[in-house]
Amino acid sequence: MATITTETLRNGLVLAVEEQPENRGAAFTLLVPAGATTDPEPYLGSAAVMEHWLWKGAGSYDARAFAEALDDLGVRRGSETGVEYTTFSAALLPEVLPRALELFSLMFLAPRLADETFESARRAVEEELAALEDDPPKKLFVRLRREVFQSPHGRNVEGSFESLARLSPETLRAQYPRRYTPRGAILAVAGGVRFGEVRDAVQKTFGCWGGPEVALPAPETTPPHAARWVEETAQVQIGLYYKDVPPDDPRFYAARLASQVLSGGMASRLFTEVREKRGLVYTVYASPGAFKGFGWLAAYAGTTPERAEETLKVVKAEIARLKEGVTEEELERAKIRTKSALVMQSESAQARAGGMVRDLFLLGRVRSLEEIEERVNAVTLEAINAFLAEHPYVNPWEGVLGPVGGAA
Amino acid sequence: MIRFFEATLDHGLKVIAEVSTEAKSAAMGYFVKTGARDETKEESGVSHFLEHMVFKGPEEMDAYAVNLAFDRMGARYNAFTSDENTVYYGAVLPELLPDLLELFTKLMRPALRQEDFEMERKVILEEIALYEDRPEFVAYQRAREHYFRNHPLANRVLGTRESIEKMTRERMAAYHARRYVPGNMVLAFAGKLDWERVLDQAARLTERWKPGSAGRDYPPFAPTPARVAEPYPRARQTYLVGLYPGFSARDPRRYLAAVLASVLGDAGSSRLHWALVDKGLVESAGAGHEEHDELGTFGVYATTRPENRARVAEIVAEELARLDREPPTEEEIARAKTKAKTQIVFAGETPMKRLFHLGLSYAYTGRYEPLSEVLRKLEAVRREDLAAYLAERPFEKGVFFELVPGEG
Repeated sequence: MATITTETLRNGLVLAVEEQPENRGAAFTLLVPAGATTDPEPYLGSAAVMEHWLWKGAGSYDARAFAEALDDLGVRRGSETGVEYTTFSAALLPEVLPRALELFSLMFLAPRLADETFESARRAVEEELAALEDDPPKKLFVRLRREVFQSPHGRNVEGSFESLARLSPETLRAQYPRRYTPRGAILAVAGGVRFGEVRDAVQKTFGCWGGPEVALPAPETTPPHAARWVEETAQVQIGLYYKDVPPDDPRFYAARLASQVLSGGMASRLFTEVREKRGLVYTVYASPGAFKGFGWLAAYAGTTPERAEETLKVVKAEIARLKEGVTEEELERAKIRTKSALVMQSESAQARAGGMVRDLFLLGRVRSLEEIEERVNAVTLEAINAFLAEHPYVNPWEGVLGPVGGAA
Repeated sequence: MIRFFEATLDHGLKVIAEVSTEAKSAAMGYFVKTGARDETKEESGVSHFLEHMVFKGPEEMDAYAVNLAFDRMGARYNAFTSDENTVYYGAVLPELLPDLLELFTKLMRPALRQEDFEMERKVILEEIALYEDRPEFVAYQRAREHYFRNHPLANRVLGTRESIEKMTRERMAAYHARRYVPGNMVLAFAGKLDWERVLDQAARLTERWKPGSAGRDYPPFAPTPARVAEPYPRARQTYLVGLYPGFSARDPRRYLAAVLASVLGDAGSSRLHWALVDKGLVESAGAGHEEHDELGTFGVYATTRPENRARVAEIVAEELARLDREPPTEEEIARAKTKAKTQIVFAGETPMKRLFHLGLSYAYTGRYEPLSEVLRKLEAVRREDLAAYLAERPFEKGVFFELVPGEG
């Protein structure tokens, strides 16, 4: 069984390590509390540009030397800016972990943030913003999220072309010390590693990183409503957002199991009713998500214009029907699927490092896979049905993107 | 510990397993050596349509019963169809592997009920519409059509609206009878399992299968160099795809092509990365080598905003030309090999990840290739080998394709 140890360093950085003795690889994810919600007005997209800029040189390394130093260790890496935070992650062989941490720490302790590399970082984000145009489902959800949240949680991570044009090396450099800080940062490591050795390596590298606390805004929503966007796509994109319980709610596991009944596996209700019985779509799903202190259930369906109205109707009806409860058999199936998924997650260092970071951010602690399994098993039919009766999934925010006359 | 087993059943089905004592799950798959390239013009799209119909169940089982059976095992499963393979795969907790094997084996003999056929036709048409909204997919498909021209590798996996609308159940049944014969299939396992038991069970479950094998046409092929740009009304960005002669899945030179692809196009650090991504000129750019049956392609791609199109195309062309003038250095090659080492550890991390390479590589070559051997062969690639390939000037023999915004 995997052992998880969590420790908060003196500078505020939270370190969590899961030892997986049989794993020949290792992975880590570093979360820093800089995301779209904390981008200062009017400089939206700052965190996204900073993410690119940070890779462009640190300490005595320029961008290329830095990348090549990581290549020489065989470190596979990536980074992603989100609504609430930015993550930097790596997959590597356990023996190179100390040296890889040393290089990663330079990115935060001694970033170059040089004038001459700024423009290419900004352009990279402009490219991402442009690419959104050719990804209709993603475009739909970016727009729908803006409808749902009144708070900065509705912002587009990449900002806009106008806000990106406002950024300068000076504005970003001025933001850096108060946003890229160990207070609120989380480092999760999983794989064939030992806690003691990891802690020593982290202490040596990230130990002298300093910075203030970052205040995160609380999520606030608008009243549920419908929005429609005209685009010449082949398929109409349908998106729904339902308010759900937050991750620290005692009814969280009942809600997660309900979402499995709705959309976990091919025998689930949405897949059966929308695709199998009616052939309305290729893709339909509902999937839960969360910001700190706020949970939602999002649903998606893509279909050709003449069938959009019926699809929307069927999807909404199936989701609303949850309030009538689930059957013993459906609950059992949802539990088996969850348990199986947990075991498979435990085989992957990258999946675990990502999961641990999310747990720490949302809940302030890491749940072991055993704990999750126990809590899932403890959900009775009475409990889940009582939850569904008192928390019906109705009255969603609705977004439809597609050609004129294509429905709804 | 890892051990490999293989056997051929009386009717010709090859059964292989890579058993790992440390895994926590077990994965299996039927690898059918059939795909779009094996279709006649009238059959266009039948391999993929059939893959969907397989999940509708055999004679004594309806589609919902199939879906329920998978979900009750907590299986993670799916299938995909390519130009030359149709693969059904899944992973479960080890104790459920016999159930998964029984179910997948039954599915290999689908009932192809007319009613299911009509319903699934609608789903396939939705899938075709979905990909019309993905210019990246369209660009790659069109580039392949220009490269392979009259060769069957130019065939579309999804078929066309017309071919799917005209498809008949009888035509599909005949295709199934011709292609899903034991001699044209490999049953592969990976992870925690008991070889004797699964082999014995596979033999019993397939004992009524009739022996048989299926061929494949290998018409001669030589690419015709071309430079093509096509407008696509649903594209807002420009998509560049270059395809050039590479090596087949049995050709030992495929390893040198993999090293070359890494030097030229790896994410994070490679020639295209420094020339395009680091400069913020593209949303993405990269290179890859794709192995086919008796053929192979070396590919490059880049996605950018229309205003950068000319510059990006020029840089890509220049980087390809530079490979000839300045072949990869010892340092670049060493780095590619170091990165491969980490990649291979992660390729073997979970039974599900391991299954694909295991099954496909066996289906193509008829022999087992452990990951340690892949690594050894990559490490054996020498600079002279790359130079010999580049001396044949492969980049003057392919297709340089661009999909651009505009009315077609």
